[in-house]
Amino acid sequence: MSPRRILVTAFLLCAALASGCKKEEPKSTRWEDAAAALASAPAVDADAAPGVALSPAGTLNKFFPKDGEGGYKRVFTADKEGYAEAKLQKDGKEVAVVSISDAERLAYAKAKFEGATEKLDGSPLMTVGKNQSTVLVKNRFQVKVSSPTLEHEARKAILSTFDLKGLGT
Amino acid sequence: MTESLHAVLEALPQSSLTTHVLGALDYIVPGEWRNITVFEELVKDVTGETDDALIQQVGERAMQLYADESNGYQRAVSVYRGIDSASTVAGAAAMANLAGQRFELLSFLTDVTPKPDTTQAIDAGLKLAGELVAFALTNGIPGDSVGDFVSALANYGKEEKMRLAAWLAIDCVLPLGPDFLQKILEALDGPLEDIENNRVFKLVSEHLPGGLGEQRDTIKRNVEESRGHLESMVADHGITQEGVMEKVKEYVAIADDKLDVVAAALDLGTNTFEHTGIQTVARRVVQRAYGEI
Repeated sequence: MSPRRILVTAFLLCAALASGCKKEEPKSTRWEDAAAALASAPAVDADAAPGVALSPAGTLNKFFPKDGEGGYKRVFTADKEGYAEAKLQKDGKEVAVVSISDAERLAYAKAKFEGATEKLDGSPLMTVGKNQSTVLVKNRFQVKVSSPTLEHEARKAILSTFDLKGLGT
Repeated sequence: MTESLHAVLEALPQSSLTTHVLGALDYIVPGEWRNITVFEELVKDVTGETDDALIQQVGERAMQLYADESNGYQRAVSVYRGIDSASTVAGAAAMANLAGQRFELLSFLTDVTPKPDTTQAIDAGLKLAGELVAFALTNGIPGDSVGDFVSALANYGKEEKMRLAAWLAIDCVLPLGPDFLQKILEALDGPLEDIENNRVFKLVSEHLPGGLGEQRDTIKRNVEESRGHLESMVADHGITQEGVMEKVKEYVAIADDKLDVVAAALDLGTNTFEHTGIQTVARRVVQRAYGEI
């Protein structure tokens, strides 16, 4: 960038900041933008890879930790095409949400595992945000434990109670 | 074009007769319900995450899942919308004038005729069937799987629990009294036409398997199998006609003391299923998005 360009950019930035101070902070329009982007896209999943059928409902829940495993009561909460979910409770309180999702049509969900440094049963393992630990089985099924109270090690212990082998074959 | 998930949630009022009535009934399920009507707040509430890019990703994925009609979330919202009578009386909210912190049900009450007990009981039974159908559409449990629904019911939390409490208070205990379950089951055993011609039945029947007779059986089984949980909820939280009336009066100015008239007015003037139902569907979609990204 030439010195003149930098000056112009700096000037514009100052002007923008100055005018920004006078007015109310504009409300974020990010969700409106996302809605507009969706509306102009085809009705189907924007990230869908054509020709791949997702795992039908009822095929993923058998790989979940057994009820009572690790002292947790397991309550299934969703069983849809490509996605199954349960909550784990202790003493009547929710401790974690566990899920298996078929990431076949969600390229970015799989791609993030390229940066994974840990492994569980040979599959890449990583954390997402503050509250999630996840493992990608057979480069297709994302198994996740989400909990605001458990640390990564404890979440990893729950991940290891899934039937990862069964899911991978 | 269908509405986006964030628009559906954010169209909910922050304050309305419905939110006041729900606030009044909070004593039944203390602390379960917060009136979240801002999409970003919901994403943060579900995930507990603070990273802005992650929140963006979860929100966008949720909107995408909702936009795909085949996922059933939009149909769940339309079932919740259809359950309330209020959605057919769109002006109800406007009729209720905000007087200080309380809502005025006065002018409204003069026009309200209470429903006969049988109609009220059938309505109540069908609303629970509506909850079953919306639950199935949202979470993917088959529509005739009453057992799965009933065990989920016992684990209801947040908006779901608030909705169930409001149904018990306004649709069951207040108009029908403590033996409401018996009345509902008896009414459902009445002439099939009474069920067939019911507004809510028309809404849920396409999602229930079988012919009319079979559908009636599913609706009845739904009430019978939920019975234990519903009765203990009423007993544990002390839901009584007097208690509900007293609490509602703290928040809503009511000129009439007749229980069935007040129940009918609340039924007409509020849309608790739609309001909390949209919050439930949005929460469930966001939870799934968080699992998928």
